Amino acid sequence: MSPPEAPLLEVEDLCVSYATGFGVLRALHGVSFRLMPGEALGLAGESGSGKSTVALALLGLLGPEAAVSARRLRFGGRDLLSRSPEEKRRLRGRAMAIVFQDPFTALNPSIPVGRQVAEPMVFHRGLAESEALAAAIGLLHQVGIRRPEVVARSYPHQLSGGMQQRALIATALAAEPELLILDEPTTALDVTIEAQILDLLESLRRSRRLSILFISHNLGVIHRLCESVCILYAGEVCETGPTKTVFRDPAHPYTRGLLASLPRLAVGDRKRLSPIPGTLPDLEDPPPGCLFHPRCPYGELRCRREAPLFSSPGPQRSVRCWRVGEIGGVSWEEAVGGARPLADEAGGPAAKASPPLVVVRDLRKRYRLGGFWDALRWEKPAGRKFPRPSWAPRFLHALDGVSLAIAPGEVLGLVGESGCGKTTLGRTILRLIDPDDGAIVVDGREIGSAPEREIRPVRRLAQIVFQNPDSSLNPRKTVGEIIARPLERFGLASGAQARRRVGELLEMVRLAPSYASRYPHQLSGGEKQRVGIARALATSPRFLVCDEAVSALDVSVQAAVLNLLEDLRRELGLAFLFITHDLSVVAHLAHRVLVMYRGGICEEGAIAQVLRPPFHPYTEALLSAVPRIDRGRSRIRLREEGAAAEFDGRGCRFQDRCPRILGKVCRTVTPPLLEPAPGHRIHCHHRLETLAALPSPVDAAPPGAIP
Amino acid sequence: MILYTLRRLALIVLLLWVMSVLLFAITQVLPGNVARMILGQFATADAIEAVETRLGLKDPLVVQYGRWFSHILRGDFGQSLIMERPIGPVLAEALGRSAVLAALSFVLVASVGILLGVIAAVRKNRPVDHAVSVFSYLGISVPEFFWGIAFILVFARWLGWLPSGGYSPMGEGFGNWFARLIGPALTLTFTLIAHVSRLTRSSMLETLRSRYVLAARAKGLPERVILFRHALRNALLPTITVLAIDVGWLFGGIVVVETVFAFPGLGRLVAFAIERRDLPLIQATLLVITAIYCLANLAADLLYAALNPRIRYARRTS
Repeated sequence: MSPPEAPLLEVEDLCVSYATGFGVLRALHGVSFRLMPGEALGLAGESGSGKSTVALALLGLLGPEAAVSARRLRFGGRDLLSRSPEEKRRLRGRAMAIVFQDPFTALNPSIPVGRQVAEPMVFHRGLAESEALAAAIGLLHQVGIRRPEVVARSYPHQLSGGMQQRALIATALAAEPELLILDEPTTALDVTIEAQILDLLESLRRSRRLSILFISHNLGVIHRLCESVCILYAGEVCETGPTKTVFRDPAHPYTRGLLASLPRLAVGDRKRLSPIPGTLPDLEDPPPGCLFHPRCPYGELRCRREAPLFSSPGPQRSVRCWRVGEIGGVSWEEAVGGARPLADEAGGPAAKASPPLVVVRDLRKRYRLGGFWDALRWEKPAGRKFPRPSWAPRFLHALDGVSLAIAPGEVLGLVGESGCGKTTLGRTILRLIDPDDGAIVVDGREIGSAPEREIRPVRRLAQIVFQNPDSSLNPRKTVGEIIARPLERFGLASGAQARRRVGELLEMVRLAPSYASRYPHQLSGGEKQRVGIARALATSPRFLVCDEAVSALDVSVQAAVLNLLEDLRRELGLAFLFITHDLSVVAHLAHRVLVMYRGGICEEGAIAQVLRPPFHPYTEALLSAVPRIDRGRSRIRLREEGAAAEFDGRGCRFQDRCPRILGKVCRTVTPPLLEPAPGHRIHCHHRLETLAALPSPVDAAPPGAIP
Repeated sequence: MILYTLRRLALIVLLLWVMSVLLFAITQVLPGNVARMILGQFATADAIEAVETRLGLKDPLVVQYGRWFSHILRGDFGQSLIMERPIGPVLAEALGRSAVLAALSFVLVASVGILLGVIAAVRKNRPVDHAVSVFSYLGISVPEFFWGIAFILVFARWLGWLPSGGYSPMGEGFGNWFARLIGPALTLTFTLIAHVSRLTRSSMLETLRSRYVLAARAKGLPERVILFRHALRNALLPTITVLAIDVGWLFGGIVVVETVFAFPGLGRLVAFAIERRDLPLIQATLLVITAIYCLANLAADLLYAALNPRIRYARRTS
């Protein structure tokens, strides 16, 4: 046995604080962890937990206004804090490199990608510009980019999100660093692309013996990539240990709460989520004792008085909680008040008797690509002497003949990658976008081509909740004014009556009536989304379109909002079109699902039908790409490159990326409709028996309850 | 790119034609009788009649416009009524002088303005930043004629370093020529610099806060590379648009500044023509200024596309 290796990175008691106008904001407090060479450590926690601050502190990139201190901050055996700014700069990019969250904003828009990848080699390894560029092309090839010479000459906006992220990873690898910090590297990407990037990171890590510090709010992704995990809460470490044991047997109440908040991708697991109550503490005025005690269902008197010390419930594990070992037998669900099963009316609410509330038939919407001049061509017609101008624009078919029906009280999930047309569909059904063709019937009224004044009564019945509550709430209006606005517009209430109704609506979304006088910036993300929901509910609608309504929220907040939506559906009999890229959320909430790809529907059916074979190859790939904490890894890989930008209407719309493509028939003939069970429809050339024999990436039964 | 340039040039030609119609129409409705202006107050009715016939002033307006415009197309701007000389050479000479003055001012506005903006952004909220603000606002908040007079007062009258105005051809010595050029140029620069420096400062600050600048810092690049390669190039995009608009302001300012400094350029010619109701001269000078403004905006758009690859390439490569 060789002597134990020295850790690459040692962090002990790292503190970061900011002086604000009112006092001191404690962004990080006593954060400690270590990273061995070749190890991957996940840094998990919700927004505001200080994950990114750790990364920036390590790199020395926090501004001068941040006060950084640590008992020990050593990298490769040398102290980091005492280095001069110039020494830190030489270390950055060379010994430790970072990949940021949103690849599009992290690449300089006006410099060719190749030069951006080459820069660290020029400035750290002293290569000439041309040598570095050649090396950069090699790196781009290594991170799985085909035609790297072309990509090196391209500008960032010419690349897809996945390619941009690959280019950033190549940049980070350029100076051959020992430590790679990844700050939410896949959060902005589609799930199939995310799976590819995770594959790449895993193989790079093996081939280069890289140490990885992986920052993410997504526990599934951390489970995929990291052998150990460090959970942060409000700037403090609450639990560290090997990923598998921590996720199987979480010791800290916060870790348990996070896991209990995650919707699971499983059939028949429609039990109510158990979110963490309350919100993050004010870091300018942290509570005494344990930071988590105001939200902890296991708390006792001691937790309020003294900050807990670390203790070790198992090998390589440490937990900052007074009650470690005492709470083992009580699950989070039991502690917060028990998990009720969600499944209500047997067979779902698709009450066969009542006619559907929303019917959409053969909806079409296309967008012209490029401007007026781009569509103008000079061509010489046969038999003519001179070329003639012709105007033939190219179109993007956002909706290419979509049909659906939603029953009262039903949740119809709509999943697909970004750009597949799901947002266009949601907005077109509400006539926020005018369709080119097709019928939309809401509550018996045809609104597909009706003039605006005839739609008005329907507008009251059908409302929308947007993804980003920051940009969909007017920052200059109070919450009360925002919610009262639709009441006034539709003449439903005014004055004292409207104020009373606003109070009721706030109560409905579980907010105190005092919120009416607040402004959006005074609310947390989850509270803002509740206001967005309250506004949509103001007109007593019967149908809500939720466009990625929970995607921007932290898991514990997301769980609470999902519970709220389910409660509202039950209390008010609301029907939902629930648009999301997150299959777990759909599996949790929806009764039926539509899978969309490039403007058309590949598969539709009840949730239990879609999650199990037979399924469309695209559904299969989507399902297998979801990183999860409850199962191993076996994935279907989709081709990212080589896919045409648009579908030209010939053959199957999934042909470019289908891993199970049959051949010419997929490219030339529109796929037939397969109907393995009533209401379950698949558009594919494969034989039904073949699709039925596909392995299921989803467990049939809910996984063993997390203690 | 070439196609785009040609398209824009075609549009400019169209614009100039519209402008010529407008100019012609406006000069027609100006008060005053052209023949009386030429002959003076005490001309007899017969004499006026004769002049009007000679100049074709009795023809229908469309015919007059057609004659005027076809002459312009041949490069003939007609006769100045007051100077009684062909406008072409007079205009060319004045335009040449003004072009030098405008070019010098423009280069100064662009270079000094961008430099000040970058310095102010890098030293945000420090004394240098505040000094730059005060300096630029001082220039823009008081009209050109004040700074022109102040300049003459300080440098010509009190210090005696420079002549108070006029023009001296380059042939009579570079020193003389430059001494008479620098006054109006600096005055113009001072009144225009705020646009450029303030905008560069704010867009530079925004760029320095961007993710890609943070990513560049994380690569461990030296500060100067971060500032000039990664930040400035992107920060300059809005500045270029404003610089093109500033060309318009520059020609507005030139009229005033050339008058104050007695600099015989296009601006003074415009002022002279308007003052004396020299209609053909007004038409010719204004048409030339319109053309310059259009070309400056075209140049700015081309430069913008050159700096911004998102405009240059509309399509994805893969």
